[in-house]
Amino acid sequence: MARARRTSIRQGCFALATVSVCLAAVPATAQQSQGDKLNELSQSEENWVMQCKNYDCNHFSESTQVNAENVQNLTPAWSFSTGVLNGHEGAPIVVDGMMYINGPYPNNVFALDLDDPNRIVWQYKPKQDPAARSVACCDVVNRGLAYYPGDGDTPPLVIETLLDGHLLALNAETGEQYWKLEVMDPSVGQTLTQSPYVVKDKVIVGSSGAELGVRGVVTAFNVKTGEQEWRAYATGPDEDLLLADDFNINNPQYGQEGLGTKTWEGDAWKIGGGTNWGWYAYDPEEELFYYGSGNPAPWNETMRPGDNKWTMTIFGRDLETGEAKFGYQKTPHDEWDYAGVNVMMLSEQEIDGEKRKLLTHPDRNGILYSLDRTNGDLVRADKMDDTVNWVKHVDMESGQPVRDPEYGTRMDHRSKDICPSAMGYHNQGVDSYDPNQQLFFIGMNHLCMDWEPYMLPYRAGQFFVGANVWTYPGPKGNREEGTGSGQVKAYDAKTGDFKWEVMERFAVWGGTTATAGNLVFYGTLDGFIKARDSRTGELLWKFKLPSGVIGHPITYMHDGTQYVGINYGVGGWPGVGLVFDLNDPSAGLGAVGAFKELANHTQMGGGFIAFSLDGESPYTKDIQTGEYQSQSASAGNDRQASN
Amino acid sequence: MRKRNLIIGTVLVTIGGGMGAGAALAYDGTNCSEPGVCWEPKPGYPDKIEGSKYDPKHSDSELNKQQESIQGMEKRNAMRVEHFKKTGEWVNDTDELELQQAMSEDEQS
Repeated sequence: MARARRTSIRQGCFALATVSVCLAAVPATAQQSQGDKLNELSQSEENWVMQCKNYDCNHFSESTQVNAENVQNLTPAWSFSTGVLNGHEGAPIVVDGMMYINGPYPNNVFALDLDDPNRIVWQYKPKQDPAARSVACCDVVNRGLAYYPGDGDTPPLVIETLLDGHLLALNAETGEQYWKLEVMDPSVGQTLTQSPYVVKDKVIVGSSGAELGVRGVVTAFNVKTGEQEWRAYATGPDEDLLLADDFNINNPQYGQEGLGTKTWEGDAWKIGGGTNWGWYAYDPEEELFYYGSGNPAPWNETMRPGDNKWTMTIFGRDLETGEAKFGYQKTPHDEWDYAGVNVMMLSEQEIDGEKRKLLTHPDRNGILYSLDRTNGDLVRADKMDDTVNWVKHVDMESGQPVRDPEYGTRMDHRSKDICPSAMGYHNQGVDSYDPNQQLFFIGMNHLCMDWEPYMLPYRAGQFFVGANVWTYPGPKGNREEGTGSGQVKAYDAKTGDFKWEVMERFAVWGGTTATAGNLVFYGTLDGFIKARDSRTGELLWKFKLPSGVIGHPITYMHDGTQYVGINYGVGGWPGVGLVFDLNDPSAGLGAVGAFKELANHTQMGGGFIAFSLDGESPYTKDIQTGEYQSQSASAGNDRQASN
Repeated sequence: MRKRNLIIGTVLVTIGGGMGAGAALAYDGTNCSEPGVCWEPKPGYPDKIEGSKYDPKHSDSELNKQQESIQGMEKRNAMRVEHFKKTGEWVNDTDELELQQAMSEDEQS
């Protein structure tokens, strides 16, 4: 069956009356990369082959079988436990009738046949250094798998990062290790939590550990051989940064050469952070990929004078060479841990009468940025919420945030009521963009904080934070109860307006998924998956899951049925108090106090649930699916007779 | 080019303005000494921490450990890849690869 489906997918169109799925309808950017099998697979609504759904990272499905008129009929179809209880970020991937799912440390991987998900086709349990757990900043999460479709010489591969710093490729058909690379080293504080990113014959991976002073890096490997093709750092000399000769030529006011060392004191850039563990996007026409580098280290700003380039930067890098064509630093000399690794969503929209190729990025610092992704021009910079207070506005000419000194931080001082908190108004969630409505759906945090730095020396492999943080719900929430710490908003990048917005009890950590059925789905920390009318924000459906959600929903067609699915398993940074049973409000890098109420709503778990209309599944279509088939019908009859 | 001139002009105006009314106020990120270089110390805090009471006195050997580790990983990965490209077999254990290489050299000599 799976083989037959592969053939049909490559032919491009599908005979599904309820779904408009045809390669002829794919965007021009997709057609640019003919021969890019992964890109082609991503255009099929039968697949969810990348964490972000497609190179645009729009997390948008054209499927309409489930829609605003019938979503109330969504019912559980089947479920799967990963057998691990820590936080489950990311989501499974779906390709050619198979689902591949992993989880947090120890990062076990499972392959399920969607014709009978009761059967685990293969499973892989990596052996890794357990010491990595002690240097993971925020639970032992993993943001999901990546897929390489293979060619004549190399089989299809499922690729994941391991917490202990390895990058692992498995044969997608057998589950056997294909290659395994050392990328990061936990003994010096480095870990990997990111979902790898496959484009053409490359797999790109970032790094984690800025809370331990890890110098950020992004690396491309040849996906077929594991050979390192290029490596670019976030800080240090220009040759380490891989700056193109024309770096920031269109926007010299952002800064150009020499700043990766000049904006640091001495050798502080060597332990300066700027790791990137978030989400990437790729434009096949520009042949650029986009990502954000994270926070400088340590959090204590007094210990690192300077703008600390190129941490907190949106990079546009050439896929083949890794060279940076542009870099826009959103939060120079960060004072609040506004790590800028968040999702990059690509769209084409008309702004002030001009069609622009946009890159839209909801940053942790509370600002929604839209850049022209061809050259890095800053097109929009809108506050995500009117309670953002560290910055008055962004100067659209210079790109500089105009800070409000009242909310700056410094040694020997406790700064109060800073909004957003270090967890940001937006963190690692993968959001969505509906090209029909031209709206972004943003899952947000609503968290503010007090912040008090302290001094500490750097020791490789030890935490290097240098600030105590107390986090609590923002002004629109209830600080006494510890609720009202999340929001969902529909954002129009053309105008900067929010079409609708709703509050949530807790941070909407995992992000949103939009569909052409006028729906937006998301999970909540207290364990609901919800569907809202994407036109109005009206709540249309919800289901209480076994545990809270920090991952993102997916949707896919299989055998004529549209499934909506989501990982459950509370944890990650917001759930760290619950997972490790912490009570000090400033513990967990400030998260414990903010989510003190969470344990009264959900507990640990770990797995995936698929929903469909009326719960349709392989088991309702044919109740014999997955049933034990006796070797001898007569033996079965004999047993029945003896009973 | 016209845009570049406009931007440089804007930055210079901003710098000039900053020297006047803004400079005595706390750091707000608008007083740029050159494009992309806009940090300034907060009132009462040093512009260099070396020798100040905020000097963390980092050890050079600690600062270099990450890079030393990365270079070691790159070298080991290169060995694995080379063997994989030659044989189609992936071997994680680089000690085993070194042993194989030594034996091969012995045979050749």
